[in-house]
Amino acid sequence: MTGRRANSTILLGITIASIAMSILSLMIGAETVSFGQAWREWQSGASPAESPMLGILVQQRLPRTIAALIVGAGLALAGCAFQAMLRNPLAEPYTLGVASAGALGAWTATVLVAGYGMSRAWFGIPAVQLFAFLFAEADILIVYMLAARKDRVSPSVLLLGGVTMGMLANSGILLMRYLADPERLVTMDRWLMGGVDVLGYRPVAMLFFGVTPCLAVLWAQAAKLDQLGFGADLAEGRGVNVKRLQVITFGVSSLMTGIIVSVVGPIGFIGLIVPHAVRSLTGSRHRLLMPVSIIAGGGFLCFCDILARKILPGETPIGIVTTLFGGPFFLYLLMRRRFTDWET
Amino acid sequence: MTRTLTAESVAYAYDRERPVFRQAGVTVQSGELVGFAGPNGSGKSTLLRVLCGLLKPNAGRVTLDGRALSSFRGRERARVIAFLPQAVNPAFALNVFEVVCLGRYPHLEGFGAMRPHDKEVVERCLRATETEDLRGREFMTLSGGERQRVLLASILAQEPDLLLLDEPTSALDIHHQIEIFALLERLARKGYGIAVVTHDLNLAARFCDRLVLLAKGRDVVASGPPKEVLTAETLSDAYSAAIRVVAHPETGAPLVWAETPLRAEMDT
Repeated sequence: MTGRRANSTILLGITIASIAMSILSLMIGAETVSFGQAWREWQSGASPAESPMLGILVQQRLPRTIAALIVGAGLALAGCAFQAMLRNPLAEPYTLGVASAGALGAWTATVLVAGYGMSRAWFGIPAVQLFAFLFAEADILIVYMLAARKDRVSPSVLLLGGVTMGMLANSGILLMRYLADPERLVTMDRWLMGGVDVLGYRPVAMLFFGVTPCLAVLWAQAAKLDQLGFGADLAEGRGVNVKRLQVITFGVSSLMTGIIVSVVGPIGFIGLIVPHAVRSLTGSRHRLLMPVSIIAGGGFLCFCDILARKILPGETPIGIVTTLFGGPFFLYLLMRRRFTDWET
Repeated sequence: MTRTLTAESVAYAYDRERPVFRQAGVTVQSGELVGFAGPNGSGKSTLLRVLCGLLKPNAGRVTLDGRALSSFRGRERARVIAFLPQAVNPAFALNVFEVVCLGRYPHLEGFGAMRPHDKEVVERCLRATETEDLRGREFMTLSGGERQRVLLASILAQEPDLLLLDEPTSALDIHHQIEIFALLERLARKGYGIAVVTHDLNLAARFCDRLVLLAKGRDVVASGPPKEVLTAETLSDAYSAAIRVVAHPETGAPLVWAETPLRAEMDT
């Protein structure tokens, strides 16, 4: 049993670790940033463009770090929400095919822009990003319509429908690859590996204004999601409107995941690893699990990004790093868990 | 506070062609332990769900103290009526104390923080079900009987007046079945109104104040004290099988068993 003191210790510890990761993420890279020099450059009144250290810090590292924090937080919380809603601790935000659908959207946009003269950007948003978002949301809408029943949403239909939609999207990607100009394959393949190496603050703003409200709405469902842990019937008997909870949780986490995928591409397994690790510290009550997952998710993705850009050779795409962590971790969970844990 | 939960000529159909019942009526009052019995498919569980507001009847009305049940908000209803579904399993690891705390949900505000009063209620419910020694144990590591007692504690934590339980003893051995029923009887004597769906007519005969007998496609076929409902004639008719009843040698309660079809033929 975790008492109040233990809770605040966990929260404090995770927060400090995540702040440390963010600072390291600002410093480490192809060029090590010296905060002292950046500060002196700032004092001298030069613009970031003409001062080397400040320029790297403000134009590259800071947006990248903020993006990693928001994306990590969003994916981790979406993982918590999906796991609670599907009553399946092995679910994650991409279980329902969002990432594949988003990738299909990105590929479709690339092919249309290159081969059919479609506009490169709409309302100032790159076509690749817009299509990724729209395809991700369309996937979710279809899966939802498959699974929605009169007074409940069926978790098993969601799962199977989502996996099938993901496979459909993957074969769509193969088709687009076949149609695409071979020269573009390299850049588009890079998109599939995900990356928080955003340039400038426009994508950061998009992430911030898209993701933060979703985080707040999901956290507000914490007490209700706890009730769902013992099944929809018991929750309904305690006064939870299960259908409404399912729609809110599902809709908001999917929206958030779609936004994230459209900006940084698919970055897998964060939504699985982080909630699991946090749950072993905080227990399963969402009131604590959710905020700690938000903070830990941001810190963990910063950590993965540091690995991606410095420790591993070259600039390894972050999606590969998280999958290298996440794949084995998932297999470990499968091996360790009792069957009864996710039946019913 | 004395409560009366009534279903009047309610109808419910999962499938339009085959309604589970068309004109079922039943009442549960504070202080009584009522058993819902009947063959598979007779609608016991469905009737219980209609009574607790989980299913909306296609016809007829359900009232709580004269007021339409559908006019209650979810949490308001849950502070009066607690429902324990059949075969409840948690998706995530929780210890016993946390499981019982979940029962406070209908009383908590906003983010669901437990106040000192809520913790007192939880302690009281742990004591009432004799589960206080289990508080730190992980729920999934408990035995079947312990789990049911903990789940009972968790619905008692709603501080309801009425308890509706769907086969709370179906997965338990004979000793633990009696333990749960004895606990329900004690709770009824304390003033709770309890409706329990059960397949075990002998346990129902021994512990229930009243029995409601349903038969497939025929709504409620009998209702009253166990001795009046549990007769060979009524039961044989409701179950479409040869059912025998004698008086229990020690308690005098009806003792029920079903003849095997083969035996029944040999007797005639």
